[in-house]
Amino acid sequence: MFDQEFTISKETQRVYNIIEEMNEGDAVFIDWAFDPTLQAELLPMAEQTIKQCLDKKLRIFIYYPYVTGISLGENLLVNIKKEDKYKNIENGVEFIHLGYLPIDVDMMLFSSYSDFKSTFGKEGKIFRGIKTMDDIKYIMSISGSDHTESYIVLQKRFGFKLGVGVTAVIGPDFVPYLQTGQLDGMLFGLRGAAEYEKLRVRHGADKIYNQKADKGLASLSLSQIVMFLFIGIGNFIYFYERKHKQKT
Amino acid sequence: MKKEIPILIGFFATIGWYLEFFFAGTFFENWKMFFTTGFRSVAIVGLLVGVVNVLRVNYSRIKYNNDRWYSIYQMSIIFLMVILASLRGVSPGTPFDAMYTFGFIPLDATVFSLLAFYVASASYRSFKIKSIESAFLLVAAILIMLSKMPLGEAMWSKIPAIGEWIMDGPTSAGKRAILFGAYLGGLTMMIRIAFGLEKSHLSD
Repeated sequence: MFDQEFTISKETQRVYNIIEEMNEGDAVFIDWAFDPTLQAELLPMAEQTIKQCLDKKLRIFIYYPYVTGISLGENLLVNIKKEDKYKNIENGVEFIHLGYLPIDVDMMLFSSYSDFKSTFGKEGKIFRGIKTMDDIKYIMSISGSDHTESYIVLQKRFGFKLGVGVTAVIGPDFVPYLQTGQLDGMLFGLRGAAEYEKLRVRHGADKIYNQKADKGLASLSLSQIVMFLFIGIGNFIYFYERKHKQKT
Repeated sequence: MKKEIPILIGFFATIGWYLEFFFAGTFFENWKMFFTTGFRSVAIVGLLVGVVNVLRVNYSRIKYNNDRWYSIYQMSIIFLMVILASLRGVSPGTPFDAMYTFGFIPLDATVFSLLAFYVASASYRSFKIKSIESAFLLVAAILIMLSKMPLGEAMWSKIPAIGEWIMDGPTSAGKRAILFGAYLGGLTMMIRIAFGLEKSHLSD
């Protein structure tokens, strides 16, 4: 029943294509705007984005606007390093955790004049050639709130490509931005994460390590069937009671 | 002067920030950076105020309230995590990280997961076909749910396309209207704050 076959949506395909089209050494900024509450949907998205960037030898800058998400991100990278393929990656070379800044989206980050490295107070080989936010080629914002809209406001101005990974609850809010071209791609809920995993597996990623969201889809399907059942029962009782009242 | 100075600061900050978006240049850039640094300082002080407040509230509960065990538990966890972070750091593999992984993550995820039961309960109580409008809502909701699960596609291959049409068409149109209204409201509020007509943020 849960052997799942599904098509890939165009939004997910766009997220995948953007990273595939980037050149070795390009800088990707991952906005890790979630904590364990949303990890079921968003952690697989973050994992696949990071792995695809590592496969393409891109430089990954991970920024945490919420302090409770930092350890989640650090642990994910530790787990990724356990895979043979990624065992040699190093913090400060292939990726870096930029840490937390105590406001939501710090506009200073997006200043063409402020130094990118000193804004976060970090050092590393990875910063070579990155002077300001203008040198970032792609931002992937993974979030379960309207936090991402701050990037959308600035996207046209600074010209970076912008992808988002969002929960199914907040996903519809971002559809208008996809239509206007302000967003270059979107991973929509657990289904989006599973589609992304499927795409990566189709292009050679190891299935054993890349099917967390795919497995989660089974429980999603089951919970939605339960909801259909409840809706059906609720309506049956409603109509039954209405008919009964009319009779009396 | 107690009111005038904050209103003046509000005026210059709002107008400067607004103009900066349209006329990017060194002058406005420096202006923006000045206020951004200010934001950051306020946020840091805000964190400190938050910590002091939590400690004060819990201290008084422990001292005077019979229901003190929750506060004792909360204070113990706060101090334990601060001490562990100070002694051994916060990187993966440290005791702080163990508390995060085996304590915070399951608790945080569990609290959020409770929402599933609320949604299930709401679906039972709220999704009733009481009118034509509610029938439309129910049909759209079911189609969207089906389009987001593999089972829907297995039932009928056109389901994802229908779900996509609902999202791209009616949902997006409604969302745009709401956004447009909200942003117009935001713009109005900005003008009111800039010219000192709105004073609620000054506790007036």
